[in-house]
Parts: sequence; C-alpha cells; structure tokens
Amino acid sequence: MSIKFKNISLVAMTAVFLCGFLLWAILKPTDPESVSERRPLATFPDVNGESVLSGSFMTDFEKYTLDQFPLRDQFRTVKAVTAFYILGQKDNNDIYIKDGFASKLEYPLNSDSIEYAASRFRFIYNQYMADKDMRIYLSIIPDKNYFMAEKNGYPSIDYEKFISDMRGHMNFAEYIGITQLLELSDYYCTDTHWRQEKITDVAQHLAAGMGVSLSAKYIVNQADTPFYGVYYGQSALPLPHDDLYYLDNEVLKDCKVYDFETSAYIPIYDLDKTKGNDPYEMFLSGSKSLLTIENPNASTDKELIVFRDSFGSSIAPLFAEGYAKITLVDIRYISPNMLGRFIEFTNQDVLFLYSTSVLNNSITIK
Amino acid sequence: MLFSSIPFLFYFIPCVVILYFAVPKCLKNSVLLLSSLFFYGWGEPRYLVFMLISITQGYIFGILIEKHLGKRRSKAFLAASVLFSLLLLGYCKYADFFIDNFNTLTGMSVPLLKIALPIGISFYTFQILSYTVDVYRGDVPAQKNYINLAAYIAMFPQLIAGPIVRYSDIAKQLENRTHTVSGVALGIRRFIIGLSKKILIANILGELVSVFKASDEKSVLYFWLYAIAYMLHIYFDFSGYSDMAIGLGHVFGFRFMENFDYPYISGSITEFWRRWHISLGSWFRDYLYIPLGGNRVSKLRWFFNIFVVWMATGFWHGAAWNFVLWGVMFAVLLIIEKLWLLKPLKKLMILNHIYVLLLVMISFVIFDAASITGALSYITAMFGGQNIPIVTFESVYYLRSYLIILIVAIIGATPLPKKLAAAVEKSKHTGLAYNVAEPIVLMLLLTVCTAFLIDGSFNPFLYFRF
Repeated sequence: MSIKFKNISLVAMTAVFLCGFLLWAILKPTDPESVSERRPLATFPDVNGESVLSGSFMTDFEKYTLDQFPLRDQFRTVKAVTAFYILGQKDNNDIYIKDGFASKLEYPLNSDSIEYAASRFRFIYNQYMADKDMRIYLSIIPDKNYFMAEKNGYPSIDYEKFISDMRGHMNFAEYIGITQLLELSDYYCTDTHWRQEKITDVAQHLAAGMGVSLSAKYIVNQADTPFYGVYYGQSALPLPHDDLYYLDNEVLKDCKVYDFETSAYIPIYDLDKTKGNDPYEMFLSGSKSLLTIENPNASTDKELIVFRDSFGSSIAPLFAEGYAKITLVDIRYISPNMLGRFIEFTNQDVLFLYSTSVLNNSITIK
Repeated sequence: MLFSSIPFLFYFIPCVVILYFAVPKCLKNSVLLLSSLFFYGWGEPRYLVFMLISITQGYIFGILIEKHLGKRRSKAFLAASVLFSLLLLGYCKYADFFIDNFNTLTGMSVPLLKIALPIGISFYTFQILSYTVDVYRGDVPAQKNYINLAAYIAMFPQLIAGPIVRYSDIAKQLENRTHTVSGVALGIRRFIIGLSKKILIANILGELVSVFKASDEKSVLYFWLYAIAYMLHIYFDFSGYSDMAIGLGHVFGFRFMENFDYPYISGSITEFWRRWHISLGSWFRDYLYIPLGGNRVSKLRWFFNIFVVWMATGFWHGAAWNFVLWGVMFAVLLIIEKLWLLKPLKKLMILNHIYVLLLVMISFVIFDAASITGALSYITAMFGGQNIPIVTFESVYYLRSYLIILIVAIIGATPLPKKLAAAVEKSKHTGLAYNVAEPIVLMLLLTVCTAFLIDGSFNPFLYFRF
C-alpha cells in the first residue's frame, strides 16, 4: 500500500465517519427516553435570543447531541468494554461485575446522609408515635456490596459502623438484624434488589422479631419476561438476564392492595409491569407513596406500618399472613407531614425497613 | 466549544471543513474567521466583543506602528497597544486577585468584580502582543487585511489553548498556503492522536485526581498516586490539545510550531522548559527576557530578569499566589542549575531524570493546589508528614484500577511509541502491514473516543433504586 493510498484512505474513512454520523444524527427520529438509564433523553433545545446569549442553548444542544447520538447504547458498550477489558479498570461508572453479579460501588459511608435519614425517621416517631402504645422496629437491608465488595478488593462501607450508627440515631426503635440470613445469591445478578423467592426466611425472622409467627407455604411462579435489572443498563455490558419469580398462595390471592395515589385497588403482582423498563415494579406496582394491603382472612386484627424503600415492595406481601392490614409508606414520595391525613396511628407495629443504598444516599427522603 | 466534544467533532468540524474546501481560495480566510468567531461565540457569546476589540486595536495599532516606523510615535503606538492588551487582560483575569489582596492587606472590603474569565484571552492577548512588537521591530509588515489578521488571532484550532502562534511564523501562510491530501491526512492523524491522549489518558487520570480529592481516606500512597496522576494528566491534557491544534492547522494548510517535546525525559529543569509549553517559553524569552537584557548583564540583574520572567510565567497561568510560587520555584531551580548543577546533572544518567520528575511533580502539586497552604499540606503528606496511614484499602483499589492507564501514560510520555512506530513503518517486513493498519487503528481510536464522550452523558436516573 503506497503512502498516497494510505493518506487517501484515512481522509476518506474520517470523512465518512464524521459526516455519516452527522447525517444520521440529523435524520434519525428523537428518542424520548433511555431504557438503560431509565431517564428521559434531552430533546432539541429552544432557540431564541436569550438562550443563545446566555449560553443555555449551547449547553442544552451539547446534552441533546450526547443523548440522541446514533447507536448511543452500543457506544456505551464500547466504552465499558474498553474500560474493563483493555484499560483494566475495576469499575465503569462505579459499576463492577464479579462472579456474574453486577453491583454499584457504595462508598464511602456518608454519615451526614445516615444522620439525615434518621432525623426524618425521628420526626415521624415524635410526630405520630411517641405518645402512643406502638412498637417500633428497625431493620437494615445490606446492599450487594456487603457480600461482594471487600472480598474482591473493592472499597466498601464499614457495615458494622453503619448499622451501629443508625441504631444509635434511632434509639426509639428495636433493631432486628437480618444480615446473617442473607447471601449474595438472594439478590438478582443484574439488579440492586433481593429476590422475593429467597427471602421468606427474612420475612419470618422480621415477623418473629415483631412477635408474629409466619408459616405459610408459597407457590413459586416465574414471570414470562426475562429480567434485565438496573445494573444491566448501567454496566452497558452484555450480561445474561435474571429470571423473575414471585410467590403466591391462597392468602395473597384474597388480599387487596389499595393505592392512595390513584384511589384504586391494584394487584399485588402487576405482571404487565414485567414488560416495562423496570420489571421489578411488578411487586406492588413499584414506586408508590402510600399503599395498604388488607388481608380479609387474617386470624388477628394486628396492623403493621412499614416505612420502606423499593426492597419493601417484594417482602411486604410475605407479612400479609400475620396482619390484618399492612400500610406501606415511602417517604421519598410523600412528605411525612402529610401522613396524619391518611394514617391513624394507634397501636400498630411499625417497621422502618431500609436498604443501606438508600440510607447512604438519603437526599431523596422527604 | 471543546475539541473533545460531540458538537465539535460531529457538527462543527465536518461543516467547517466542507465549507472551507468548497469556497475559492480568496474566501478561505473569511471562512476560517467566521467559523472561529462561531466557535468562540458558542461558548462565550458575550466575550466575542472583548476579542473583536482586541483584534481591532491590534490591527489599527499595527498599521500605525508601521506607518511611523523609526519615529517616536511608533513606540508610542506600540506602548498604547501593549498597554491596551495588558489592561484588558488585567481587568478580566487579575482584577479580583489584586482587590482580594488589597482587602487582605488593608482590612478593607472593596467588592470583587467577579468577572468570568473570557476563554483564551491569555492566548490571544499574547498573539496580539507578539504581532505589534514584531511590526515595531520591523520583523514583519503590518497586516493590511483585517480579515487575515483576525483569522490569525481568532483561528479556532489554537484559540483557546494554544500553541501561541507567532504572526511572523504564519504571515506567509495566511496569504498563500497549499492544501494537499497528505497534509490533511497528517492533520487527521495528529488530531486523532491528540484526541486520544486527551480522552483516553488525560480525562481518565483526571477522574483519578477527582476521586482522590473527594476521598476522606487519604494515605501516603494515595498522595503519590494523585501527584503522579496529575503530572501525567496535565501533560496529556495540554499536549493532547496542542496535538489537536497542530493537526487542525495541517488540515487548513498551516504549520504551527510544536508545543511539547517529551518534557518528562528531560535531564534538567532547564531542558524541561525547552520541551514543555515551548510556545509560551519562547514567547517570554523573546518578548520579555531578552528585552530585559537576558543574560548579557550583571549577574544580579540576570537573576532579577529570570525572576521577573518566571513570576510572569506563573502569573500568566492563573491569578493566585500558588501560581506565583510555582513560577518562583522554577526561577530558583533554573538559577541553581545555571550556577552549579547543569554540568553535574549531565553526568548523572538516571538520577538527573529522577531529580527532574520529582521536582516537576512537586511543582504541579503546587500548580493544582487551591492555595499555598493547601500545596504545602499536600507536599508534606506525600513525605509522611501528615500523620496519615501509608496505605489504605481505597488507595490500593485505585492503584489497581488505574495501573494500566498509568503504565500506558508513562510509556506514552516518552518517545518510545513514536520511535517504535517509525521503525515498524520503515521496516521492509512490517511496513506494508503498518500502512494498512494505521488508518484502521486511527478509526478505532476515533470510535473509542466517541464512545467515551457519549458515555460522559451517562446519567442514571437518581431514583433508579426507585
């Protein structure tokens, strides 16, 4: 190959690459959202004198070009492969993969965040429970890093200190430890959450801690759709999918779930959600601020209030056997100030059930 | 607009290059000027005014200086132009620094002006200064065509991060230059290499620097990791940008001066400054050091000249005392070398490199620090003076995670890859394979750079834990 031909080839290839993607970017329809990142994508910004002079048009245009670039997810895969396998980086955008499990670095321990979360929980306690005959419990769900970070050389938070700090801040609650019952295989490979079919022992242990005995047997059902969890999209690597299972029995079949947001009854397991962006939303329909699970066949009139994050969606139905009514509150979506309007705090059991990931990033808690 | 951005690579450059090669020769400088103004205005629409005023004063004073060449008026016009340029630079870049120090000294509270520094003002101001001084010296004729002069000063390839191109170096090219496929190919090659240096090495090492700064679990190892990473980051960032600028220059038919020549292989600080940011070093030499008398003066005056030049060099980099300290540090080192060390250093084949790398690394810790106190704190921590552990779990993790990048960067900072590529290219056995592989490898690099840029927009929904 002559130097001249090499030069012509390089110029031609560069021109095709740059101009080809330019044309493709211009001609391709706008994508409304990124499935892998679960967020809306930037659209072409408004052009006017003010936006141009302030520079906001330029900033927004750059976001638009990045978000709407052709083959965006494939380019993200190229980046992930380069970072992991060529440059030898241990994580890509804080996501790492070990033994088939993907996880996000949860580090360092954010004391301010823990303190903030605890302060909001204490506010709820002082506001609604302090002068009532209520039994308050706290349990903390370790994220996957608890099982896989340190032993694989990844930095991780000091979980003992984390739990100890949280217990110290919440001395009004009795702590029920569950870490000893969990192992890595209790979590999805591609998602942050735990698997419902693997946590019946955790549900029994928590219930026992609250003085309730659970012994129900469940039928394990498999959802039809393969489950690509949140880390699948974030890692941008071709990981194998998880299978999504859910537990059912006669008790759950008769339970009724009331959604205060829509003022309507919803199913415990919404199988349509398995076809959506986040199949884990099939459990109690995902992010809901306030729900109740009513068990008409309960042999008790005991009630439970669970302050929870998304991990609570899959475990809460497993408590149904032992309670007449379970109220699920997610104070990331409803202000604690408003709870008195919807919940009558009397003599219920109260469980604060949160994952370390949310407590360590508690900015989302209201 | 940054070179390492999607809008530049996939929107601006294809459009500008197509337009540039589509118009007749007489309009090429106009296309360059308009595209440069668009490029500058994209990031800083309000500061276009500053740049256009600067260009216009340089243009007018250049003609006036030439018209009265040899007369006192010529000097007065030069002084006026220099004063104008420096006052504008001083107002935009240094006003708050002086007000802040004035307030500290007097206890007064004169409000800060809080002026956002116009991008590239330090570079284009120095280009205008070199132009008017060169006209005054009679080295070049004044440029009568406003578009040509404006195209030179505002030329987007070197506008925001250099190299500082002298007017005298490209005056002829502005009027008459040739465009060839080999020139364009050379430019593309250089640009992609620069882009890769910036995105695949400098940016990644920059992440390590950011992670270090955000960490609460620092260790001696971590401080060293930071110092080495920052030293390599700044080299690959800056030299990558210079490569891209030089490459773009080639595409448009210009030959810009080299700005870096493997500075980290230097055997002395004197040699380091012959290899680092060459266009700035030679600018200060020609327009400040030599006019001050250079070394053809008394020893005391010589030292004074060195101090002035290096304080100015430090101050040019930023309006803060750590930059001044950084410049003074080099002044002291250069004086020591000139007096005693240069000859012994030549005999110390390995130790001289360690000496240079160590001091340059420390200098960049000072350069990167938020304050002099911060710099001293970092330096003492590097040598175990901060009562911190030698190693932490976190520092070992990041060392492992960035080890390959660090090794690649260290090797890439030497002429070894270039020599190896040249040897392979020239070899009878491998020359053909090299010529076939080169465009493919460059395209792969461009693809990977694009992938890294796109992934920069990775922004998972905050509520992904839902």
